Amino acid sequence: MSSLLLKTLTKKEEIDRIIRDTIDEVLVLRFGRCTDTVCLQHDDILAKSVTDVSKFAKVALVDVDSEDVQVYVKYFDITWFPSTVFFFNAHHMKLDSGTADHTKWVGAFHIKQDFIDVVEVIYRGAMKGKMIVQCPVPPERIPKYNLLYKDV
Amino acid sequence: MKEPSKKSEIEYCKVCRLHHDHGSRHKYFPRHKDLLSTFLDRFRTKIADVRFFLKNPSVLRPQEQSQNRVWCVFCDEDIVELGSSFACSKAINHFASSDHLKNVKQFLSKNGPAMDCIDDFRISEANVATWRRKCQSLGSEDASSFKGSCEQLSGTSNDIHNKLAFKTMDKIENVPAQLINSHHSSDVLPLQYNTNKYQISHSELPGVAHYGSYLNMDSSHLPLHTDPPSNLPGNGFGKHVIPSRSKDYPSSQDQERKQIKGSYSSPGEVGMTSISSSHSSDACGNVHSGAPPPWLDANDGNSSNVQLNQSDMSSSFQAKIPGNTRKLNPNRVGAAWAEKRKIEIEMEKRGQTMNSKVDAEWLPNFGRVWQSGTRKESRKEFEKEKRKLVKTESISTESEPVKIQPYISKRARRETGENGSG
Repeated sequence: MSSLLLKTLTKKEEIDRIIRDTIDEVLVLRFGRCTDTVCLQHDDILAKSVTDVSKFAKVALVDVDSEDVQVYVKYFDITWFPSTVFFFNAHHMKLDSGTADHTKWVGAFHIKQDFIDVVEVIYRGAMKGKMIVQCPVPPERIPKYNLLYKDV
Repeated sequence: MKEPSKKSEIEYCKVCRLHHDHGSRHKYFPRHKDLLSTFLDRFRTKIADVRFFLKNPSVLRPQEQSQNRVWCVFCDEDIVELGSSFACSKAINHFASSDHLKNVKQFLSKNGPAMDCIDDFRISEANVATWRRKCQSLGSEDASSFKGSCEQLSGTSNDIHNKLAFKTMDKIENVPAQLINSHHSSDVLPLQYNTNKYQISHSELPGVAHYGSYLNMDSSHLPLHTDPPSNLPGNGFGKHVIPSRSKDYPSSQDQERKQIKGSYSSPGEVGMTSISSSHSSDACGNVHSGAPPPWLDANDGNSSNVQLNQSDMSSSFQAKIPGNTRKLNPNRVGAAWAEKRKIEIEMEKRGQTMNSKVDAEWLPNFGRVWQSGTRKESRKEFEKEKRKLVKTESISTESEPVKIQPYISKRARRETGENGSG
């Protein structure tokens, strides 16, 4: 259902285009599979919030099973699905949520408001020139995971 | 030995806004006395405002009616100036009433120190009488400009209902009463009066008989009452409706006169008024004849102005948009890139084909997880890794398959070699 509301990208060109065409707005790229349950939950939250953040953010889904997209999967060091990466004016925005990986949000958001808060904080930080922002979500609602370094 | 203090029931003190069981001693407590003085001072300022209007009566416009309201703390009621033509008229009448005086006395006996300040919170009858006389004189001055006030009183906005109603009201004035009567026999009468809530409330059943009887009367025969509005017969709404027919409110009276002239409703019919159809068919036509609506007619002559206005609007919007971008923080992330990209997009829109082909190898600015250092370095490293990966893949495809042979020791190889040579 959410795929009807959100654009699903399967090619590198499409991802490039959307990154380059999103100007002065936060771009939210979700890397995941539409069949995975956690991804589905995450997509549901994204789809519900897209209108609320439409004035300062754009949301798109990236299918990780597509071959064309693997270069980005490697470039962004994506090992867990769903992973959400944030961009602003083609610059990657980092989010310090207390986890090991600040470059992306791993897992699904618990509530709509958490997602909206994160996007808002990123927007505010980006407008001030900050490339890394503090995550406003309380720690109990941040998904935990173990990050492996080169499969160690 | 001291007597134990009497246990009284829990009461609520309006001044202190708390519950207490002090009973009648509560009003002597210093905290209560302080709060009471501020409480009464607040009310004194309110009543001073009302006294200002008592000395200087002024006409109250309908749009200001909702702002002109007073909460009477002694009677616990909100005095709203609905349907009154002079500012604070209802408030003045309330403060002069006997009910209010009773409530003030009760309040002071329960909470207050003494009864000597009672006159601060009420308006005497003499003052009210002088105010009424002033209103009357003010009203007679306004009679010449009554049309303007009528417009204001009849509606707040210049919407079509009021416009049409006003047009019809103008025409009704000229039509003699007999013509209106002639339509009495027809069952269905064309709608000549807008039936919004305000109008319907005017023609409620108790009031209907009055309207019917007034129809044949000349305006000069309209009864003049001097009672305050709440005592009007046939007025079932208390304070809030129908402007009074007393001499004090001649402007509203004139409005009523117009309404009465124009309206006819048979007894038993609630909320329906009709006007004769003779004036409803204007020279301009109506919806049924397919004539254009009046607002478009008005705009035909001003179409060029409208266009000009539109262009003005668009230019102002355009002026606004660069204003918006100017407000964007130049220090924001990717500002330079964003500006460059906007220019590129504009040029593409204009049709200038730029080298818009995005390099297939283009990657966004990304800080990788396991890299330290700048983002450029992380991109370089990624590209290095990619190249390595490509090389190893190519090497693996190009190499021949290795033959697997059993191990032959050196001695055996020497022996075979010697045997071969020897």
